Amino acid sequence: MNAPARLLWLALALLLITPGLGRTEQIVCLDCHDSDMMRKELRAIPEEWRKSVHFQNGIACNDCHGGDPGDAQMAMSPERGFVGKPGYDQIPQFCGKCHIGILKNYLDSGHGRALKSSGSGPNCVTCHGSHLIQRASIDIINEERCSQCHTYERAKVIKEALFETERNIRELRGSIEALHKAGVYTEDLGKELFSTEAEFRTLFHSVDVSLIRQRTDGFLRQLDRIRGEDQNIVRELRFRKNFASYLMLVCLAAAGVLVMLFRTKG
Amino acid sequence: MVRKIKDWLEVRIGLAEIIRTQLTGYMVPGNINLFYTLGFVALAAFFSQVATGFFLLIYYLPHSEYAFRSVQDIMSRVPYGWLFRMMHAVGSNLMVATVVLHMLSVSYMGSYKKPRELTWVAGAFMLFVTLTFCLSGYLLPWSQLSYWATTIVTSIPAAIPYAGDMIAGTLRGGEMVSGATLNRFFAIHVILLPLLLIFLFGIHLFLVRRIGVSSPPFGRTAPRWRPGTSFRHEDHPDGHPFYPYFVQREMMMVFLYFAAMFFIIAFLPTLFSPDDANTPADPFRTPAHIKPEWYFLPFYQLLKLIPNKLLGIGIQALLAALFIFWPFIDTREEDNILKRPRLLALFAAVVVSWVILTVWGRYS
Repeated sequence: MNAPARLLWLALALLLITPGLGRTEQIVCLDCHDSDMMRKELRAIPEEWRKSVHFQNGIACNDCHGGDPGDAQMAMSPERGFVGKPGYDQIPQFCGKCHIGILKNYLDSGHGRALKSSGSGPNCVTCHGSHLIQRASIDIINEERCSQCHTYERAKVIKEALFETERNIRELRGSIEALHKAGVYTEDLGKELFSTEAEFRTLFHSVDVSLIRQRTDGFLRQLDRIRGEDQNIVRELRFRKNFASYLMLVCLAAAGVLVMLFRTKG
Repeated sequence: MVRKIKDWLEVRIGLAEIIRTQLTGYMVPGNINLFYTLGFVALAAFFSQVATGFFLLIYYLPHSEYAFRSVQDIMSRVPYGWLFRMMHAVGSNLMVATVVLHMLSVSYMGSYKKPRELTWVAGAFMLFVTLTFCLSGYLLPWSQLSYWATTIVTSIPAAIPYAGDMIAGTLRGGEMVSGATLNRFFAIHVILLPLLLIFLFGIHLFLVRRIGVSSPPFGRTAPRWRPGTSFRHEDHPDGHPFYPYFVQREMMMVFLYFAAMFFIIAFLPTLFSPDDANTPADPFRTPAHIKPEWYFLPFYQLLKLIPNKLLGIGIQALLAALFIFWPFIDTREEDNILKRPRLLALFAAVVVSWVILTVWGRYS
């Protein structure tokens, strides 16, 4: 057996001995969807999902589609809550099981009302896609996408109103990630930003320019407060660096004094 | 006032004689070098760990629900808690490095040879206790990194036939790493290991003082001291006084040790704590690339290279036994490694393999 093969076997052995390792890989849905017996478009689903924001956050097949991911026989059984692929008009309810606030705003919006009345208005996957779903941003509002159904003017006004808040969120997210990499526990701060961002996202879905303008100041104040906490941590890290540098210099000076002492005494 | 205290002690314990026989009149070899100070630096490192560990104990909560949060509170809310915690975390790595360097220099200088075999054995056990300190302390912050690294390490004994599962279960206090494991590791870390290390240190120091400091085989002016058939203390009448000559050098090295520690805290604060060290432990979510700390990487990589896990553990146990009892294997009288090409080649091979396995383990 050559070295790469040995390493592979060892990696597999480690997988077996480590409980909980690769939890999402134990989902039986993937056994079929990854195999050649599946139709091409269905076989692409696991790969798209692995690149998605859902995968990054540990959201697996059964979290949306129900069923039993641990039992191949019952994986698609309605008795275990399997719902499969939702109908076009059922998609908002399907995603809204988790994205509750967004569902409410969407249903009250022009988009939601259009879907309800005609059954053909835009739903979640029209803008976000399905399995390859990515972290949302206002870049999702663009001429190419919006022009599929209507002119871009109104969407452009909404995007401009959202721009400042979105820029602040992006900057803060980057700053919090940098703090995390610098060894700071940022979960609380991250959660605060996430909750503000989630609230802001629900506002997107109202597609109501006046409401967005009315609430923007509130969001900006909330983000300013998070930025204040973020800056306090940055200042604290700077102080720590300076203080440890000072202690290092004191130790080096003490070592230097000792060197001089035993040199002068021969 | 000082004179009065000295006189008072002189009458009662004969202070002047202690100072003369143990410090100013106690002579170390004339060709002694800075590598001989590493034992004292390791001792200073241990005391630094005890002092900072004591401070952490005041605020740390050894419970799986609160451990991670309490460490974060130490880092962000307790005044200067970050300094003590960083000193403890960085210090543990530097202490291992110092002990390893000490063992390497002792090997290179041939200081383990007769009559110092027991001094070496006590030192080797102290190295293992130091590594166990690191292993048990690693779990205590209850982060993703500590949780999964401990899961991997505690699963290794499971490969031993018959008793393997029992050993792994005893270490973990159950099927998997849990709050019970945290309690065990905490008790081992703060009570058992310090007592064991102090006990071994007592034996080690007693042997060093009883037998006398060995002289380096390089740059000798007098003929080499040779042990006889009965016990004899190795003294160095033409050498330097322990105090102030040697103590000054020891203190200088201790200050350099702390300078290195503060350098890492100031400029490389995340050197020993990757991202996963800042994320609370989650038994249901395995991080992608969990690696042991640098001092365990050679063992980890060696275990990966040997396809049979039991064989891997067996080989490592054999290597550990060879290391502990090396003075009883290399019994030739010549202590100058430069005059023994085969021993020099073996020494170089061990050091180079260690470095290669460490780098390989890190990037594999």
